[in-house]
Amino acid sequence: MKKIEQLNNSKVPVIVFDKKLEQFRNKVLFPEKLAKANEILSRVGLPKKPSK
Amino acid sequence: MNNPKYLYKSEEFLKVYEFISEGPKGTIHKMVEYSETGTENIYNLAFGDYNKELNKIDDFSITNNGDSLKVLATVASTVYAFTEKYPKAWVFATGSTAVRTRLYRMGITNNLAEIKEDFKIYGLTIEENKWEEFIVGEDYEAFLITKNENI
Repeated sequence: MKKIEQLNNSKVPVIVFDKKLEQFRNKVLFPEKLAKANEILSRVGLPKKPSK
Repeated sequence: MNNPKYLYKSEEFLKVYEFISEGPKGTIHKMVEYSETGTENIYNLAFGDYNKELNKIDDFSITNNGDSLKVLATVASTVYAFTEKYPKAWVFATGSTAVRTRLYRMGITNNLAEIKEDFKIYGLTIEENKWEEFIVGEDYEAFLITKNENI
């Protein structure tokens, strides 16, 4: 349980690597969400940077 | 965020994460993904249930496993992991439904002071359709987050 306690008390998490997850690399698992993100970003762009 | 979180796994590029939600409905595999958008350095954050048997993701499922705050805290934790690896990245997030987007807003609101220590966070206003720095109580269509040093 030490890892969960570490994770809960740390901003930068403890990460366990799992080679099985490599099967998902470069695959879009949520295509509808990605399409929505692209639609919004092309419509409104990025926030304006504050002038310094 | 110091809320309870699930331990999660990732692949070496830290773009895909998996964890297991535990609650009255049993154990539910969750996947989190950061996908490149058409805009350089902006990644779409999405998560949903993963059916291992069918090898399918369900972005719209409402599992009601009684642990939505813990799930959100876990997803938020992946933002720290992802932006450690990709410090120039901006992360875009929106819910698959308006209700879910409000849940995200609630999660941000409850942890805003801590988030602001490390990140700049913007909300996309629904009426004016423009980005503004996140304001508690405002309703937003989507969110953008990046490390403070990128601003």
